[in-house]
Amino acid sequence: MNIGEIIKNLWEGSGYYLFGADQGWKSIIMIIVAFFFLYLGIKKKFEPLLLVGIAFGMLLTNLPAGVSDALFHPDWWTGPDAVQNGVDYLNVLQHGGLLDILYIGVKTGVYPCLIFMGVGAMTDFGPMLSRPSSLILGAAAQMGIYLVFILASCMGGLYTGGEAASISIIAGADGPTAIFLTKQLAPQILAPIAVAAYSYMALIPLLQPPFMKLLTTKKERMTIMQSSRKVSKKEKIIFPILVTVVVCLLLPSVAPLLGSLMFGNLLKECGVTERLSDTAQNALMNIVTLFLGISVGATAVAATFLTTKTLVIVVLGLAGFVLATISGLLIGKILYVVSKGKINPLIGSAGVSAVPMAARVSNTVGLKSNNSNYLLMHAMGPNVAGVIGSAVAAGFLLAVFG
Amino acid sequence: MNSLILASVLNKDEPMQPLDALLLAVIGIAVVFVVLIALMFIIWLMGKIFDGSDKLKEKHPEWGEKLAKTKEKMMFWKKKENKEPAESFEVQEVAEGTCGDVKLINVSERDAAMIMAIVADSTGTPLNELRFVSIKKVEEEK
Repeated sequence: MNIGEIIKNLWEGSGYYLFGADQGWKSIIMIIVAFFFLYLGIKKKFEPLLLVGIAFGMLLTNLPAGVSDALFHPDWWTGPDAVQNGVDYLNVLQHGGLLDILYIGVKTGVYPCLIFMGVGAMTDFGPMLSRPSSLILGAAAQMGIYLVFILASCMGGLYTGGEAASISIIAGADGPTAIFLTKQLAPQILAPIAVAAYSYMALIPLLQPPFMKLLTTKKERMTIMQSSRKVSKKEKIIFPILVTVVVCLLLPSVAPLLGSLMFGNLLKECGVTERLSDTAQNALMNIVTLFLGISVGATAVAATFLTTKTLVIVVLGLAGFVLATISGLLIGKILYVVSKGKINPLIGSAGVSAVPMAARVSNTVGLKSNNSNYLLMHAMGPNVAGVIGSAVAAGFLLAVFG
Repeated sequence: MNSLILASVLNKDEPMQPLDALLLAVIGIAVVFVVLIALMFIIWLMGKIFDGSDKLKEKHPEWGEKLAKTKEKMMFWKKKENKEPAESFEVQEVAEGTCGDVKLINVSERDAAMIMAIVADSTGTPLNELRFVSIKKVEEEK
């Protein structure tokens, strides 16, 4: 028995040796990125419920072959064979690892819809119903999506139409919608899209305030909004049913997302399904968030993630968030003038649909200008309108490229 | 290259020409605004209808009272039909109690309280452990 040979075999079979192999450095960079996201999620509390899962999935999948192969096989999902002939689900079920099985929910679009159901069950559309003009601000912030779409299409053919559409939806600040659209139009860039979308959503408290202060005057920021009309229970029950019928008939491609959102909201508002509402907003939401985070993170494999395309996606995503914020603020300023100073333009930035973070940011900036200016409830209107707006924008892109 | 003029549904796997992308973006944002403004109009209309009905109730409070009384009578007769033949008793306000509600038929609250106290005393049961469903005055035959 040659002891030297045994030690050599052990060393060459270990993950540490494989890091030194061809392209191994890329895995090391991805693992460092995963550590950074774990730091942001745990220490800085940036969207920890998702970011911790995404970061851990990223860590697992970038461990060298032999370790990661037992968990996830990216080629089965986004490799040339899968793109050409579709995913072989029988093979996934028979030979797939844990993350392969969990990823089925992402690939089939089940997770984003279930998350939307939970979001619907947690959302109070009352502020929007009491001030219907909120919907204009919700629509305005979606301009960021289309501006990024134009930018991505002007990159000299770097991105296909489907990829440009998927990148643009990051500006909607709506993680489930971004995943739902990308898995259909450009599954090969799902990881950078999901990571960028959720990371920027987490960074909203840092990204938005400078532009809010830059584009509004102190007088505008100090505007105290009066409370609007009281919304009856009947209106809250009728609304989700009405939206489902009106919007889904116009854009059938958005029915899975919007239908789930409105179903969740109906469970909350109808008052006779408290147990179901509770499950949708707690147990179900937690389980799906767990599965979604770790399986999306697992798609961030070094070989496909560390490319120029990904870096440009990250930059375009950032531009999208900024443009969406600016669009909302500018329309907010128009409403300020039209309403003769009754609407605070700061609520315009809440039109990006990161609920309720964008509304909280509007409230915080409003309070800094005037310490008795509570904008939270007023900003919730554009905020929830933004959720509907981004779903409609995604539905349009799906209808065009579907 | 994709072209909006050539195809109604674009190929997602081909790059788009910038001008086509611009045209698509304009149509896209128009669609978002049209849908959300349509929703805004529907919400505004819904609000007007509900506010209008509330104002009508405020303007004519007697309509609301009449409706409430009719509903109460309907409930009473529905229960009656299931239990005993209908009689034209006067329906009085339900007495408040710590142990549920009791229906009083042609009996004053004072008399009902006395009856309940007597029953509790003669059976040796605390009043809050007794449950009275209804107390009805029986007319003597002349």
